[in-house]
Amino acid sequence: MKKWKLEGKEFDSRLMIGSALYPSPDIMKNAIRASGSEIVTVALRRQSAGEQGSNPFWEIIKELGVTVLPNTAGCHTAKEAITTAMMAREVFDTNWIKLEVIGNQYNLQPDPFALVEATKILIDEGFNVLPYMTDDLVLAQRLADMGCTTLMPWGSPIGSGRGLMNPYNLKVIRKQFPTLNLIVDAGIGKPSDAIEAMELGFDGVLLNSAVALAQEPVMMGEAFKYAIHAGRLSYEAGAMQKRDMASPSTPTVGTPFWHQFA
Amino acid sequence: MKISINGEIKEFTQESLTLKELLDKMLFGKGIAVALNETFILRTTYSETNINDGDRLDILSPVQGG
Repeated sequence: MKKWKLEGKEFDSRLMIGSALYPSPDIMKNAIRASGSEIVTVALRRQSAGEQGSNPFWEIIKELGVTVLPNTAGCHTAKEAITTAMMAREVFDTNWIKLEVIGNQYNLQPDPFALVEATKILIDEGFNVLPYMTDDLVLAQRLADMGCTTLMPWGSPIGSGRGLMNPYNLKVIRKQFPTLNLIVDAGIGKPSDAIEAMELGFDGVLLNSAVALAQEPVMMGEAFKYAIHAGRLSYEAGAMQKRDMASPSTPTVGTPFWHQFA
Repeated sequence: MKISINGEIKEFTQESLTLKELLDKMLFGKGIAVALNETFILRTTYSETNINDGDRLDILSPVQGG
């Protein structure tokens, strides 16, 4: 499959994967490798005093040689998200930021108003903002107008594994923004959900729990690799139209046992 | 002076410290980023940034994320 570009960088894989919730660091490393993903999300949290040694998690990520996408998970205001993004830029040495501003604690729904506010400031500060957003067309327009070239609407709430709650909204966003990179971020539970997103014409999928919480995370990582590849090929190949009636695939001309005088 | 570091109150005999002095004293490692009173502080300015009584510091490092 041909390469694709995200924020000016070329990639083979269209899967972006999270680094959290794995049963062990080794399983995380092997699952990421098996998934073929070249973009891995990471976060920042408080460090305890006296932890002067190396950071084993960060060493593994560096060893994987992947592109790192820091997030602003856990931020509830634009100010918190902006400060976290700036801290992430310094630690991870990247302008990329997966911008999350949570507006509701029950379903971790992104706050569209704070998202717009933070996006504007971060773009002015030179960030490549990849906003985690609801599947709202008008919000997509606002973010695109501000200069976002990648949008990441949710499939369903983070960690819910419910798949695509509203394929119609995602389809409309795809149709309205044919040149933007669109990533379904959050809610993917099974490889078939990822295929559905890719068949809608999405450019990629970002997931974490679906692999990390599988019975066999490494095997599931590989399953997603093939699913996303298959979904993209299917989209590019163009699926047949659905029909109400059956239509035989075997030629009817020359069908045996039919006679005019029978 | 009393400073809140990552949500915990710490007492220091000094009345003021630079951020660099404080980080060295507390044995924070490399690969960190700092916010002082919820404002990001550039690494290159740690030596010029004064920490005073009542300040709140957040010192962050890489962790797993989704």
